[in-house]
Amino acid sequence: MGPVTASGTSALRSHRIACAAVTFCLMRGQRVLVSGMGSELGSLVASVLESQPWVGPIEGIDVDPPRRRLRKAVFHRIDPSNRARVLEVVTRFDPHVVIHVSVWEPDARVNTATARQLTESAAVSILGAAAECPSLQHLVVRSAAEVYGRARGSLTRPDESAAVAPTSEFGRMAARLEDHALDVGTRTGVTVGALRMAPILGPHVPSPLGRLLRLPAVPFSVLADPPFAVLRDLDAALALVAAAKVGLSQPVNVAAPGAITAWQAILRGRRLPIPLIGPEWSIARTVSHLFGAPVPEHVVETLHRGRLIDGGRANDLLGISPATSTSDVIDSLYAWPSVIHLTGEDATLAEVSVA
Amino acid sequence: MPSTAKVVPLEPRPTPAPLGRVLRVVTKPVSIVWPRPTVDEWGRDKRLIEVISPLAHLRWDVSVGGHQQLPKAAALIVINTRTMALTPLSTALALSEALGRPVRFVGRPDNIPFGPFLRRIGGLLALADEIGGALRAGEIVLLGAQGTGNPRHAGTVDHTLVAAAIRENVPVHVAATLSSMFSRGARVEVSAALRSGRNRRGPLAEVELAEHAQRRLQDLLDEMGGTRTGIRFGWFGEG
Repeated sequence: MGPVTASGTSALRSHRIACAAVTFCLMRGQRVLVSGMGSELGSLVASVLESQPWVGPIEGIDVDPPRRRLRKAVFHRIDPSNRARVLEVVTRFDPHVVIHVSVWEPDARVNTATARQLTESAAVSILGAAAECPSLQHLVVRSAAEVYGRARGSLTRPDESAAVAPTSEFGRMAARLEDHALDVGTRTGVTVGALRMAPILGPHVPSPLGRLLRLPAVPFSVLADPPFAVLRDLDAALALVAAAKVGLSQPVNVAAPGAITAWQAILRGRRLPIPLIGPEWSIARTVSHLFGAPVPEHVVETLHRGRLIDGGRANDLLGISPATSTSDVIDSLYAWPSVIHLTGEDATLAEVSVA
Repeated sequence: MPSTAKVVPLEPRPTPAPLGRVLRVVTKPVSIVWPRPTVDEWGRDKRLIEVISPLAHLRWDVSVGGHQQLPKAAALIVINTRTMALTPLSTALALSEALGRPVRFVGRPDNIPFGPFLRRIGGLLALADEIGGALRAGEIVLLGAQGTGNPRHAGTVDHTLVAAAIRENVPVHVAATLSSMFSRGARVEVSAALRSGRNRRGPLAEVELAEHAQRRLQDLLDEMGGTRTGIRFGWFGEG
């Protein structure tokens, strides 16, 4: 590719503005279905969608109600195994765009077996129902960086062209979901975009990695201590919405800039690092589970082998790239909002007048 | 009509548990020593390199020349290596210091504990896709030719790895390195980017580029001179 000159950049910018204007006119009033709207990420996606001018009606499906106040979106509380009800709701809505966030990370909200079953059930019922909608134009799937796997000799920082070779259950779940979505895309002729995201963290995101890092004493692999990247929940939501807007038709990696090792994350959080060599990891996992922070296979893999992805193409394909760096995401993980306890005198001063 | 809502006073905040206090006290010195993350997106640890650089200087006193010819963007540098001499590591550290930017070297293993340690000081796996990814990210990557016993001989260059530079359309430089087993003195001389007279479309491009790099390396090594004792192992005492 040749160098981009100043005039070339200007022409490119004008072209992009023109394309954006045409896209805006064509896309205005799009019906968007968000599967997994009850989750932290799903409700955040719905919240971002509500502020988008190109979005019309928004509907969502999940087994749990949304975790934040939504002003415009309509939510349907349906178990994904109830295919008849899912089909009825989705076909009646007849979405133009489906954002499929209904992916259960093992040990985030449910254990690995249930996560696998719920994810596959949601993929079959919701994507299957979406395939029956005549207006469907585009499908966006939340995938994971775990699809690349971390086998010995695998790339340190795989890009989208790297082979999908998962080595953990979460990676296999995400790879199956991508396959399923691609199958739906091939059969119906709609474009399918998959966002392979680094582990999503945030103060309120149910994440096994985040929960482990917040323990008072955190085990880490002292001989390896590999680097990994993460992604802030808001950046993940913005990327999903951008993928829906631009009609992404290929997989793209999304990760926060920078990297961190478990040792460095532990020190940032002022936790007690517990160095482990290898065999005692099974004991550490059991103890961590007893303390309410189960450590699934893919998190152990992250701590042993690292988890970096090349997210360089996200800006080209989505028009945005994550703004929060990995170290800032880790800091926000530890920065829980404090509860301010007021004394009697302070409380009197703090009387609030309600109009 | 305005109404007044009273804030219910809560109990005073309890003092932290003894365990929490102990943990804070125990981790405080460690967190002061190394509180900020220092690895980059490839796992290179700038702080660790700052720590080991003085040790590297104890072993090698490297003079670097020709590094002004390297671009600000990505480049692949092919160097000659001597068996068991850690040439890629010493050259990467020296070039990195001269350029003021990270220089990655190819050839870290993927096993514990050497793999993670070498990754911390800029090592990459010897895979074309790994090199391609680093070049795409604008990095300078150092690739060693096959190691030889004689420091004046350039070994063969792996064309499958050089192919990454062709795919990413980045310039390929060669750098001749000379070091000794017995002294600290070492030298690195970087050449201008290689130019190929032919415009190949197929796999011959990387094969010919690798051969060209090896020839140019040998030329550079010959130009650097050296003792000519006439003894078979005369090079042994060089440096």
